[in-house]
Amino acid sequence: MEELQQPLPERLDLFTCIQCGKCTGGCPVSIKSPLNIRRVIRETVVREDLHGFFSRLEIWDCTTCSTCAIRCPRGLKPVDAIIGLREMMVEEGRIEKTIIDALDGAYKYGNPWGRAKNKRAEWAQDLDIQNALEMDPGQILYFVCCAASYDPRVQVVAKTLVTVLKAAGVSFGILGNKEVCCGSEIRRMGEVGLFEMLMEENMKNFGKIEPATIVTTSPHCMNALKNEYEGLGSEVLHYSQFVRRLMDEGKLAFETEVPMKVTYHDPCYLGKQNGVFDEPREILTSIPGIEFIEFGRCRENSLCCEGGGGRMWMEGTNQGKRLSEVRVEDALEMGVEAIITACPFCLLTLEDAVKTTGNEEKIKIIDLMELAVMGLGKTLETEG
Amino acid sequence: MDIIVCIKRVPETAEADLVIDASKKAIDTDGLVFSINEWDNYAVEAAIQLKESVGGTITVISVGPEENNEVLRRALAMGADEALRLTDPAFEGSDAYAMAKILAAAVKDIPHDLILTGVQADDDGFGAVGVALAQMLGLPYAALVTDIQLDGETLTVHRELEGGLEEVDTLKLPALLTIQTGINEPRYVSIMGIRRVARKEIGVKGAGDLGLSEEAVGAKGSLSRIEELFFPPVGEGAEIIEGTMDEKTEALVKILKERGGIA
Ligand SMILES: Cc1cc2nc3c(=O)[nH]c(=O)nc-3n(C[C@H](O)[C@H](O)[C@H](O)COP(=O)(O)OP(=O)(O)OC[C@H]3O[C@@H](n4cnc5c(N)ncnc54)[C@H](O)[C@@H]3O)c2cc1C
Ligand code: SF4
Ligand code: SF4
Repeated sequence: MEELQQPLPERLDLFTCIQCGKCTGGCPVSIKSPLNIRRVIRETVVREDLHGFFSRLEIWDCTTCSTCAIRCPRGLKPVDAIIGLREMMVEEGRIEKTIIDALDGAYKYGNPWGRAKNKRAEWAQDLDIQNALEMDPGQILYFVCCAASYDPRVQVVAKTLVTVLKAAGVSFGILGNKEVCCGSEIRRMGEVGLFEMLMEENMKNFGKIEPATIVTTSPHCMNALKNEYEGLGSEVLHYSQFVRRLMDEGKLAFETEVPMKVTYHDPCYLGKQNGVFDEPREILTSIPGIEFIEFGRCRENSLCCEGGGGRMWMEGTNQGKRLSEVRVEDALEMGVEAIITACPFCLLTLEDAVKTTGNEEKIKIIDLMELAVMGLGKTLETEG
Repeated sequence: MDIIVCIKRVPETAEADLVIDASKKAIDTDGLVFSINEWDNYAVEAAIQLKESVGGTITVISVGPEENNEVLRRALAMGADEALRLTDPAFEGSDAYAMAKILAAAVKDIPHDLILTGVQADDDGFGAVGVALAQMLGLPYAALVTDIQLDGETLTVHRELEGGLEEVDTLKLPALLTIQTGINEPRYVSIMGIRRVARKEIGVKGAGDLGLSEEAVGAKGSLSRIEELFFPPVGEGAEIIEGTMDEKTEALVKILKERGGIA
């Protein structure tokens, strides 16, 4: 256990925690789950043996939104203690079946849903997209993401992004069936070794084509590539940053009126964790006809949708109302017709919440790129 | 208690589009993902749980080429102590009977109180190697085991029978059990765990080492052989509905109404 030998408190400097409780105070799941992050930090420090944690399912309630890390006055990353505990559970093999399936899927097929490798690029079949592996160095690579590759709902987002890029005359390629999971969620489920394996596989392909810029569908991929892929020389941008730049360069302008009252849900991995708050807002407010109002809880204070940190594969212990449902209800109260977001997991969890709260007739969840396509006067693809 | 577990490396076929190869006797395994046979994974976990409660050693055995080291390593990472791979060009084409002969020759040299196999293999689905092996070794056995209790030298096991019946048997050690899926929850094996056992030696034995003649194994030593593989002929009756989502829905509702599926 060389890699994990250093005890958590030392590794994460947890002795310096002053038990102020700001982390728990901001934690979105603490109101409905036994998870109390301040207590986890204290227990991690004082307990000699952390095995007692292994049977505590609430460790899987954390969405890795990182609110706690933003709020901690000591500059600690409480969320990393959760991930550290999950790493230990993974090492002992004591994890839930749904998590095992996700990890096995990523190991065998390069995606946590265990879908066939050779079907990864099926969504792009008729779109005439360049094979990135045949591109010269210094070009633009579109890193698609597992959700956008396989989930019919998120495939629409990938297709709309392609439409937007083509409208701006951008030359780009995709890795197709050679792309594998970025590993972001895998790492957050505690499987560091597998994360490294996936990273090495992607890095091998990045190395072949040395892209100047990698554009991602998902903020989770963006965060992993930008902050966790060691030695990656390329600039990594979420599509909202890239599209905002295209607007600055005069390559994109939204001229079609889209009369709609909307709000914007900040994905944690885009906003809280990477400070990208303005670009998505600037894109959507530049579309004529859009009436934009903010959620009460927005930007750094945005409420997590509960889709991150492995929660797509683990419901968790919390039986209370889903935060995505709270989000949808808040939006309905604000009287908006749609919540715009910019992350595959947010899109899926919020859309689910619209269904579970029975509000399909009243509100829509729209990805920022779907809105952009409307603003370009193109038709929106609704079925995969 | 010393336990031997027989594990097979098989292709995963649930998601794959299968293609029959040119010989018409096998599937084209190019591009398929291989892993430990699902039943065997449960067998390894069962062995580890027994070892955790009463101590002893676990040896895992796999017949096949070097790629089989992958499943053996995985079992070592999971908690097995020793791994042995049996390989020989003469083993090629062995059916369940010949496979049992190969395994029987190998386990004779390894001290054991209990042998575990899976109920069946995901690819061939013979469901015969375990019980054939028990017969050859003269061991008492139970197939389709869903629960194991150990009391000294006596095993009490639950067996799954047709129609959802369950049978409870007692056996004296040494014995052989074929393990059914669902008997336990196999633990996860991390990539780091596998890396940690990367350098552990895996024993290798061929037909000569096992005292097996070429006639006894492979196609020659088998009781059955595959003549031809083919996909079930496509029957009539399937109707693919074409059109837009609205047209498809309308057509489907019409058919369901016509045939009494919905009112
Ligand atoms: C790191 C740390 C961790 C702690 N953890 C805990 C804990 O877990 N549980 C616990 O019970 N105690 C805890 N304490 C102790 C507790 O916070 C203090 O006892 C309490 O805050 C003492 O008040 P203060 O002087 O610090 O007030 P402050 O923190 O200065 O203020 C407290 C409140 O008093 C009011 N106030 C102060 N000044 C004014 C003003 N000029 N005008 C109007 N209103 C004013 C405001 O409402 C303000 O929010 C902790 C203390 C520290 C430093
Ligand atoms: S990352 Fe988010 S969910 Fe997890 S403990 Fe921190 S605040 Fe709570
Ligand atoms: S916010 Fe930071 S210092 Fe405060 S209790 Fe949490 S981890 Fe400790």
